[in-house]
Amino acid sequence: MNILLILIPVTLIVIGVAVALFFWAVNHQQFDDLDSPAVLPLMDDPPAETDEKDAP
Amino acid sequence: MNAHAAWAHPQLAAQVMRPRRDGRSEIALRVDGLRDARQILTLEQLIRALPGVQRVAIDAPAGRVRVVWDARRTPLPRLLAVFANADCTAQPLRHDSIDDARATEMHAALKRLLVGGMFAMQVMTYAFVMYIGAVDFVDFTTRGLFRWLSLLSTIPVVFYSAQPFFAGARDELRQRRLGINLPVALAVTLVFVASAVNTLRGDGEIYFDSVSMFVFLLLGGRYLELRARHRSGALGDAVIDATPLLAERRRSDGQLETVAAIELAPGDLVHVGDGGTVPADGVLEGITVRVDEALLSGESRPVTRHAGERLVAGSVVLTGPAQLRVESSGSQTVAARLGELAARARQARAPSMLASERDASRFVARVLLLTVLTALGWLLVDPSRAFEAAVAVLVVACPCAFALTLPATLTRALGVLAQRGVLVTDSAALEPLARVDFALFDKTGTLATPQLSLATVEPLRGDDPAHVLQWAGALARESSHPLARALAAEAAAHGTPPHATAVRVVAGAGIRGELDGRALRLGRADFALEHSAANASTLAAGILVLADAQGAIAAFHLDERARPDAASTAEFLRADNIACAIASGDVAERVAPLARALGISDWHARQTPADKLAVLQAARARGNVTLAVGDGTNDAPILAGADVSAALDSGTGLAQAHADLLLLDGRLNGLASARVIARQVRHVVAQSRRWSLAYNLCAVPFAAFGLVPPWLAGIGMTLSSLVVVLNAQRVGTPTPARGTSA
Repeated sequence: MNILLILIPVTLIVIGVAVALFFWAVNHQQFDDLDSPAVLPLMDDPPAETDEKDAP
Repeated sequence: MNAHAAWAHPQLAAQVMRPRRDGRSEIALRVDGLRDARQILTLEQLIRALPGVQRVAIDAPAGRVRVVWDARRTPLPRLLAVFANADCTAQPLRHDSIDDARATEMHAALKRLLVGGMFAMQVMTYAFVMYIGAVDFVDFTTRGLFRWLSLLSTIPVVFYSAQPFFAGARDELRQRRLGINLPVALAVTLVFVASAVNTLRGDGEIYFDSVSMFVFLLLGGRYLELRARHRSGALGDAVIDATPLLAERRRSDGQLETVAAIELAPGDLVHVGDGGTVPADGVLEGITVRVDEALLSGESRPVTRHAGERLVAGSVVLTGPAQLRVESSGSQTVAARLGELAARARQARAPSMLASERDASRFVARVLLLTVLTALGWLLVDPSRAFEAAVAVLVVACPCAFALTLPATLTRALGVLAQRGVLVTDSAALEPLARVDFALFDKTGTLATPQLSLATVEPLRGDDPAHVLQWAGALARESSHPLARALAAEAAAHGTPPHATAVRVVAGAGIRGELDGRALRLGRADFALEHSAANASTLAAGILVLADAQGAIAAFHLDERARPDAASTAEFLRADNIACAIASGDVAERVAPLARALGISDWHARQTPADKLAVLQAARARGNVTLAVGDGTNDAPILAGADVSAALDSGTGLAQAHADLLLLDGRLNGLASARVIARQVRHVVAQSRRWSLAYNLCAVPFAAFGLVPPWLAGIGMTLSSLVVVLNAQRVGTPTPARGTSA
């Protein structure tokens, strides 16, 4: 059962990373609008002016 | 785009734009006319296509849009013009209403929920290892290791995720009342401390899995509740935030120009239309008006202000238009007052969520009593089992499912209704809506929409119809009544109406004013011809008449068409045992056909706002639960006086501010949806509460006799909460008994 001594710290690290990622996402408003992105694929082509905008 | 250009003013822009550290600006806009998801996305893409836009967040239910963009690359007026071109008029809100408090609260709740969830799962796996195999094949030191790991993983749950419960319990203790937080905090503390002590001793039972799961599930419920509250709160705010930042200033040549409210200097003459909000403190000039100062003083009856008296910024002019000589100087006073106004109005709406708290408090008192009795009982019989049994009772009997019922169901109901074109500004209104058995409708603008064309203008003294229309338009544009709006729109389509002076709107009758020194009256025949020699009886009733001192000048035949869904809505409400009635300011000849077409036998014509209120109060006196539907400023009394009120989104701001439900897009059948949903909510809430009470009653005896270990109690509590949440999802699905009525 010595493998536990490695695996348990690994799970704890994974949790730590997951929590950090999630906090980042929440703080960057990724969870603020959960409704409209679902309709995004159903949209027609975007308006023409988006095409020439922001080349880089 | 006169109104947009005003926003270029730097001082005004500073009121609505919040500068960010990266040099960009942030703005919150109140947007009307956001209907389907498609339109929202189109709007979003249009805004994103503007140069310098970094982030767009559209909150459709609340009617709010937030934009973060570089104002040096796209000036504010251009941003607003994009909204206007997309058929959504956007009104910038004061930048302190970019409410970070609400977003921060949501973010904190979400983080707590997730940390609770992740660590609870972790503790669960450790517990699982110990339950199934620890005793047999994992040696004693490994068992100790897992106990320590459980303790370690529970620490974030208790000391981070569970903080709201401890804070809530402290508040409850300080206010000397029994809330739902107290037993939760007590259970968490007791279980955690006992388990931690047992871990340190290396002996005895540990319940880290129960406590962390318990916290996680409760946080889930809290999160749902928070979402529901924010949603209905945001809607209320969106209406209240309509306090004016713009004002209409009368130039020296008599024309109106749109300027920033803070730009008003003492001595400026300001025009406020009826139903409009006074933008600055000032002295009333000219005529006597009635104003609603409810938002400022809490006094709900309108007050009469005479010429020379002061009008306070934030009060609403009922019988306008008012001319105001601005008095108080300095932008700060006005800005401060408007901010204060919004804050006060928000507070006034706050207590609507408290009803479920009261129910829970009685429940909690019994739970605590039961816990103490269990502990005492076991201390007499077998002290070693007292702690375990008491904790089990505390957890089993905790009214989590009970407390979760209302928020979970309301969240679902508000979401479903928003999709069906009904915005609920006060979620407490759904409860009386399910019991409504009397509905009072306004006619013009609510059940029917007025239409006018130049061909139906009938000059009575040989004037040119186009001229007559312009004169009438000059008066009509001062009023917000739907008939006047239709007339003004037609006049504006055929030219620029001249400017009328000394205009006075008499609610429910008409408009009078002076045009080039000539006293004109526009309105019902008896009002227009009140002071002239001609007798009104020669003219057919039910038309708009323009008259001067000599007599009638012209008659306007306005067609009225019932809204397409008025008949089906009336039929639905009747089938649902709701008595429908119409109270209209219009004449009987026009009300009767519409009432007949809609199958409504109870109608009242020629009603003043006070008469309408009397009809409503008579119904309430008979014991009816009343619903009022209206759209205009003259409907505000019945909207405020009814148990439930609905306004159309085309209505005036005052009507919307008094309404519990907003029907989007002029869709009356939203009422039918709202009624169905309200009944479902009542049914589901009652069912869920019965279930949670039954569960508690069945489980408590077992827990009290020590037959339920705390971890099993935790699972039972979880399942009962889950049943409640799943049951709430039934709201909005067609009920088999009612067929396809939803």
